[in-house]
Amino acid sequence: MRARSIHILPALALLGSTGSVIAQGPSPGEDLKATIALHGFPCDRVVDSKRNADSDYTATCKDGNRYRVFVDATGRVVVKKL
Amino acid sequence: MHRTRSVTAAPILIFLAACAHDSRNARPAESPGTGPEPAPAAAKPAPDAAQQQAPPQSAPGDSAPAVEAGKNQGGATVTPPPAAPPAPPSQPASAAPRARPPNQASSTHPPTTPAIPPASTIPPASTAAAAASQPSKATDAPSLDLNGLEQRLRDTRAIGVFTKLSLKNQVDGLLAQFKAFHQGQSRSTLAQLRQQYELLLVKVVTLLQDGDPALASTISASREALWGFLIDPKKFSAI
Repeated sequence: MRARSIHILPALALLGSTGSVIAQGPSPGEDLKATIALHGFPCDRVVDSKRNADSDYTATCKDGNRYRVFVDATGRVVVKKL
Repeated sequence: MHRTRSVTAAPILIFLAACAHDSRNARPAESPGTGPEPAPAAAKPAPDAAQQQAPPQSAPGDSAPAVEAGKNQGGATVTPPPAAPPAPPSQPASAAPRARPPNQASSTHPPTTPAIPPASTIPPASTAAAAASQPSKATDAPSLDLNGLEQRLRDTRAIGVFTKLSLKNQVDGLLAQFKAFHQGQSRSTLAQLRQQYELLLVKVVTLLQDGDPALASTISASREALWGFLIDPKKFSAI
C-alpha cells in the first residue's frame, strides 16, 4: 500500500507540471519579437531584452538591430529602432 | 489503514499540483518582459486606450485587442449577414446582382427588397420556395458570439501582453477609419478598408494559429461575419 501511494506522488506531480507548461504563454522574447514584427520591423529572434521600466524594454534581435518597445501615455505600443 | 491514508492523500496532492500550476501561470501572463512588474503596467494602458474607444462599447472589458471586433458588435450574439443574404432568397431576380452590404441594399431598394411585401405578392410556389430557403439560410449563417470571441482573445495565452496591445492599437485605428468611412469623411475606399481588414485578420490568425489553433480557426471562420458587421452603418453605429 505504501509503495503504491509512493508511486502516485510523482505521477500527480508530473500531471501538475505538464499542465503548467501547456498553459504557459509566449516568452518575453517571443512577445517582443511579435510586437516588433507587428510594427513592420524585421526581427527573426530576440536574443536579448532589457527592462528599462514598466512596459519599457530594449530588445536586441538576432541580426543585431536594437529596438525600444514601450507603451506611451496614450496606451499605444511604440517600437523605436535604436 | 494504509489504504485509507493513501486515498486521502490523493486529493491533497491533486490540490497541491493545481496550486503550483496556477502560481506558475500567473507569472508569464502578467510579465511580458523579464520581471513580473511589466505585465500589470502594460495592462494598464489598455483600459485607457479602450476608454478612447469606449463610447461605442457597452461591454464590460475594453482592453483586449481582438476584443475590438467583439466591441464593435457590442451586442451579445450577432447573426452575420455575409453577402446581402436576406434579399436574394425572397427575390432572386432583383437581388442577385448586388455586391454591396446589406445596409446599402436596404437603403437603395427599400420598397422592393423587404421580404414581407414581396412574399405577399409572389405566387404560392415562389413563396413556398422562399420560405424554404430562408430557414436554411438562417441555419447556414454562422452566429457570431462576439462577447465569447472577445473573452477568448483576452484569455488566450498564445499572444503576449505587448502583442495584444499592439493588435488592439491597430484594430482601433481600423475602426476609426470605418467610422470616418460611414460618416463620409474618409478618403479610403471600401476596397482599401477591406484590404486593411484582411491584413489585420491575417496578423491575428498568424499569431494565434500555433498557440491557440481553435481560436484562430474560429476567427478565420468569422471573417465574413465580422466584415458584414463593420460595413453595416447601423450595426457599426450601435457599437
